[in-house]
Amino acid sequence: MVSKQLTIINAQGFHMRPAQMFTAAMAKYACDVIIKFNGADVNGKSLLNIIPACIKCGSNIELVCNGVDEEAALAEAVAMIENGFGE
Amino acid sequence: MLKGIGASEGYGIGKVMIVEEKTLEYTPHAVNDIDAEIKRYSDAVEAFIKETKEQAEALRVSAGAKEAEIMEGHIGIINDPGLKMSIEGLITGGTCAEAATEQTLDMFIGIFAATEDEMTQQRAADLKDIKHALLSILLGINEVKISEAPAGTVLVAKEVTPSMTAGINKENIVGIITETGSQTSHSAILARAMEIPAVLSVPNALSQLSSGEQVIVDGTNGEVVTAPSADDITDYTARRDAFLREKRELEMFRGRRTLSASGEEYELCCNIGSPKDAGKAIQADGEGVGLFRTEFLFMDRTSLPTEDEQFEAYKAAATILKGKPLIIRTLDIGGDKEIPYLGLEKEENPFMGFRAIRYCLKNREMFKSQIKAILRASAFGDVRIMFPLITAVEELREGKALVEEAKDYLRASGIEFNENIPVGVMTETAASGVIADLLAKEADFFSIGTNDLTGYTMACDRGNSDVSYLYSPFQPSVLRMIKSIIENGVKAGIPVGMCGEAAANPLMIPLLMSFGLTEFSVSAVSVLKVRKNIAKWTKAEADAVAEKVMEMATEKEVVDYLKSIV
Repeated sequence: MVSKQLTIINAQGFHMRPAQMFTAAMAKYACDVIIKFNGADVNGKSLLNIIPACIKCGSNIELVCNGVDEEAALAEAVAMIENGFGE
Repeated sequence: MLKGIGASEGYGIGKVMIVEEKTLEYTPHAVNDIDAEIKRYSDAVEAFIKETKEQAEALRVSAGAKEAEIMEGHIGIINDPGLKMSIEGLITGGTCAEAATEQTLDMFIGIFAATEDEMTQQRAADLKDIKHALLSILLGINEVKISEAPAGTVLVAKEVTPSMTAGINKENIVGIITETGSQTSHSAILARAMEIPAVLSVPNALSQLSSGEQVIVDGTNGEVVTAPSADDITDYTARRDAFLREKRELEMFRGRRTLSASGEEYELCCNIGSPKDAGKAIQADGEGVGLFRTEFLFMDRTSLPTEDEQFEAYKAAATILKGKPLIIRTLDIGGDKEIPYLGLEKEENPFMGFRAIRYCLKNREMFKSQIKAILRASAFGDVRIMFPLITAVEELREGKALVEEAKDYLRASGIEFNENIPVGVMTETAASGVIADLLAKEADFFSIGTNDLTGYTMACDRGNSDVSYLYSPFQPSVLRMIKSIIENGVKAGIPVGMCGEAAANPLMIPLLMSFGLTEFSVSAVSVLKVRKNIAKWTKAEADAVAEKVMEMATEKEVVDYLKSIV
């Protein structure tokens, strides 16, 4: 299991388009992708899980990947978030 | 007349077409062959995806890439693993595909609606849209074809779903009326993107209007005129034509340089509040950013943003601007802008108190991390630093010394930045106006913030209705202040911009041109209007106006005169 603490920097937060980009990217990995936010576990591969979590700009989250390709999944996930989803 | 929310400007005169969602009633049936039922569901999903892709393409042409992405998001949702698992699980348990689809989507709609976040609640509309489309496919029901609406149609619906919008032909649909929605709902965003006048949240619109009746949609004022008289039609036709003419005229100024009628060139930039707005500035044809407010990075959170977070945000804006100027104003808190975690004490007179540059110079570590973040971003574009609320030369010197310290640190760490980053002053206090000659010797540029400059010069709180009559940038004292700041900047050979609301005021523009302002920074929606207004005047005409105005003794004389000639 690997994990990293991150802050959401894009203005819209984890909203529709970022969540879509994120889940589409994570779908190709076999490992579990969990976003820990506000004491809850959010499935990082499910748009319908991420959107109602209302993760806003400035929120602190922990990304946890667990599985065979966890390193690669975490690296890509971190890059997307740190890059503000290209916004 | 029906009242609603004007969500997309303009006037449309046409005949009502009611778009009611077909009831998708069905009797749940027993499932004998589970595999066949799952296949029926997955076939429906496949048909849905094909349809949605077509709609997204149609939308890309009519409303732009952003709107098309919303449709494509529906494909992401239908492929969502949680959704798929729930629906297939229900079918495996003996529920028919229709009921499995409905129950699962209703569950997610409930979850979305239960959040206290307006944006998330609005996404429930996408889920309803998907549910509706999937059930229609499963039940073999055909939707009303909006794409076949005749010319001069006013669409009336409970809400405009994204899939509905995809069928809209801009040539034929002259107006939109809905029962639900707000300024920020999808219906509104799509209507604006397609430039169709829209009035949303009209109570009981569906029962009050009937297909075929003539109505006028006034998206500017949020009104629907029912059973219009001949006079109404004449009146609104004139308004519509004037609106469209003005819009066309403004569009003529897109992509052009900002020139006076006699050929002097000015810079025309935008004021922004987030990196995303930088994209809007470009879309609006801004020539750069004259004011990037950084408060958004510090607000709505519980602790200070890190240097890296700030760097990413500034870099994002610089990257979007592709080498166009980006003036970043350092943190301007205090006064009316509170940030709880900074623990600023309540004070008697916050506008005169511990705020902006005063606070930053006392909280040097925080200030330095912002300056370092800005310096790092300067490797990615034409980034400039601006200090707010300067009242004394020492403040500028101290700020510049911190910039040098930050440069030393970055140099030692081998981090790239622009060694010659311009450092300027936001001249927005009476003091900075009076010592503009002294500041101009040590600043790389000025930018006049007219809102605070007016308040501080007139010693007047515009929020207090007993004194707000004094609050006007056309007060002779404020005009003298503005003139002196510009002239002192010009004399010292530094650029002088204006990032306050007054820069977009048609009455103010000839005065600023005459005084020698070099840059106008306005909100994105005003860019083309300001360019058009600047093009109206020759330098000589503007000088003649300014000369007269500067001899006038009262604000009323100034405004009456300017109104008579603009």
